[in-house]
Amino acid sequence: MKIAVCFKIIADYDRMSPKDWEWDEHYVVDTRFVRSIFNCFEESALEMALKLSRPLEKTADTAELTALTIDDEKADLFLKHLIAVGYDHAVRICPNKKLALRFSPLSISHLISAYMNHNAHQLVIFGMQGGEGDNGQTGFLVAEQLGWPCIREVTDVIKTESPDFLKVTSRIDGASLVQIVKLPMVLIIGNSKDSPYLRIPNLKQKLEAKKKQVTLLSEHDLKLDNKEGPHKVGLNKVGPNKEWFNTDKTLINLHRQKVNPPCIFLEGQTGRDQAEQLYHQYLKKRLP
Amino acid sequence: MTLTRQAIVDHLIDIAGQDRVITDEQVLKENSYDRYKKLETIFGIYTTPIPAAVVKLADTKQVSEVLKFLNKNKVNSVARTGGTATEGGLETIVENSVVLDGSQMNRIINIDSTNMQATAQCGVNLGEFEDRLREQGLTTGHSPQSKPLANMGGLVATRSIGQFSTLYGGIEDMVIGLEAVFPNGDITRIKNVPRRACGPDIRHVIIGNEGALCYITEVTVKIYKYFPENNQFLAWALDDMSMGFKILREVMVEGYRPSVARLYDAEDGAQHNFDQFAPDKCVLMFMAEGNERIAGATAQGIAALVEKYVGKYEECTPIDGKIIENWFNHLNWGPEKIAQERELIRKTQHLAYTTEVSGNWDCINIIYENALKRIREDYPHMDDLTMLGGHSSHSYQTGTNLYFVYDYDVKNCKPEEEINKYHIAINALIVEETLKAGGSMVHHHGIGKYRTPWTKQEHGSAYYILKGLKDQFDPNGIMNTGTIYPVE
Repeated sequence: MKIAVCFKIIADYDRMSPKDWEWDEHYVVDTRFVRSIFNCFEESALEMALKLSRPLEKTADTAELTALTIDDEKADLFLKHLIAVGYDHAVRICPNKKLALRFSPLSISHLISAYMNHNAHQLVIFGMQGGEGDNGQTGFLVAEQLGWPCIREVTDVIKTESPDFLKVTSRIDGASLVQIVKLPMVLIIGNSKDSPYLRIPNLKQKLEAKKKQVTLLSEHDLKLDNKEGPHKVGLNKVGPNKEWFNTDKTLINLHRQKVNPPCIFLEGQTGRDQAEQLYHQYLKKRLP
Repeated sequence: MTLTRQAIVDHLIDIAGQDRVITDEQVLKENSYDRYKKLETIFGIYTTPIPAAVVKLADTKQVSEVLKFLNKNKVNSVARTGGTATEGGLETIVENSVVLDGSQMNRIINIDSTNMQATAQCGVNLGEFEDRLREQGLTTGHSPQSKPLANMGGLVATRSIGQFSTLYGGIEDMVIGLEAVFPNGDITRIKNVPRRACGPDIRHVIIGNEGALCYITEVTVKIYKYFPENNQFLAWALDDMSMGFKILREVMVEGYRPSVARLYDAEDGAQHNFDQFAPDKCVLMFMAEGNERIAGATAQGIAALVEKYVGKYEECTPIDGKIIENWFNHLNWGPEKIAQERELIRKTQHLAYTTEVSGNWDCINIIYENALKRIREDYPHMDDLTMLGGHSSHSYQTGTNLYFVYDYDVKNCKPEEEINKYHIAINALIVEETLKAGGSMVHHHGIGKYRTPWTKQEHGSAYYILKGLKDQFDPNGIMNTGTIYPVE
């Protein structure tokens, strides 16, 4: 089985203060001084795929894992990390129009679908939402373009005895749904309790990963600049004379909502004074 | 005759009152350890004896009465305030120990902006103390990562150091006077004067005693004007640590006193995401602080000094100071980070520990290289290590410290076996290599209970003085047995 996990690295917004939220004429917020991190849902997705790649004793088949991102060279560090923890292939698509891709899930889905059409994967995994844009659409759009079924809010996925099927647990209307599904398939990972964090490589694995290369692909490599078009199946094809890059949206403004935490400061010099105030003014009336 | 557990509790209630003597089992368990044994306590395993009681001390007089009772009946005590110790100093290794919790002695007694000193009881939280001072444009200059949790008594008892130490010094440079209680119940006060030549500096009998000689009840520290608006951050990427030590030395020897002077190796830097900005490089950073002119001159001077290296060596390249500023502003750990860390450890069985040592400029790089080499060659579970590196974070005219950092996945052992298999074994190799090269085995965490095998070697012929202090002040051996002094 060949599995691709699509991920995005984002700035750690928790480390930005309100004064850092300033943007230029292209509405780009400067986050170069803030560390980047894996988008949390995709971190779960990446770990889930690693667990899935372990062979079942009965079948002894091992999945082939590909980590895929669309970014500039700053993502290579993360891709090397993924090689270190067990990914077989690290692929970075680096199109020319990255700036405009920020809020364009349709364009991103064209790039990913094109990659999938060139590589015979049976399973593509996404995180539920990305930090920037937060559109929650990319996985669905890729499924549509590939013509594959899609399950959202996946919390767990395990192999079955048949290599063509997976057992997928997902959340739906507050309930838990467990299905045996046939591949190929797109999975969109939600809050996973079992795989919230990506594993950490040991020193030897890190050293080995440094020697390996990240595969770089342009839209030319994906034949997206070819007038004949790469897509053979699915809806919303990028076909002859159709542009892969989608221009149906133009960013015209950004606004940062001020969040005032609902916070009350307790008066009083000592902890005892403050605890008494908390009790008398806020807790006592709520007690039975 | 040895008192029973119940008799100890009954006597303590007579002295301190029922409300102040805690015997709840869970509270006792939580007071039997510190931040040394993480894994086993996360899984609810307590391998050290559970104390007989925790006494929430009310005031100095009560400390005196309690200690007098414990001393008379030879009951071991463990002094505790914020509970952030990292070297096992707070572990209750003797049956029926009594934990002396000073966290409720938390009054800020005085802020004297004329004489630039402030006095606090032992249980005053440093973060709160700083907040009060900063309202008045003042600071202690003390800022360890544990600031949100650590209390003044514990900070002084362990010879703590803060992140701005290169300018303000360690806690021993800040303390002017103290009040402490000795095991016989004697209350001693050392007065607050700027300097004196009246015999040996007896403050240093108390500072760093780790509860093994006396109980610190009150401290007076220097205070400074606070100018955060003038802070300037500078950083460079380097190829190796030896060049970093060389530049650090030159900065110090030329007389610059940045508040922060740090040097990370590539491995440790990656833990802090510096590899995103300087892949595979060491990172050297400074923060210039003070009034506008001093901060400006310090930053300019350091920049000019390092610039010589930038021109001379291609591998020395500047890094945007804003990256360092952003990182630095998120370095402290409060209760929420400790809770997150414990949850993460529970889920991943992945731990991180440190061993901090120091050495003069002529041996610091030797210590750095030899200790890492020794671990790589001699440590039998290298495959379980996920990180091995280090940094220097406190520099002096004569040398600097080294903070070795090692992370590992716990494999094939029970939670209670983890500490011996990993932390203790790696720590031992670092300590041995440090002492061999002429450095000190502990820079600022204190000896606690796990570096005592090397206490005598550390002090050499001066151990006579250290031993004399114990014999004089704690002849019955009731003060935090097994801390600083090896159990013989």
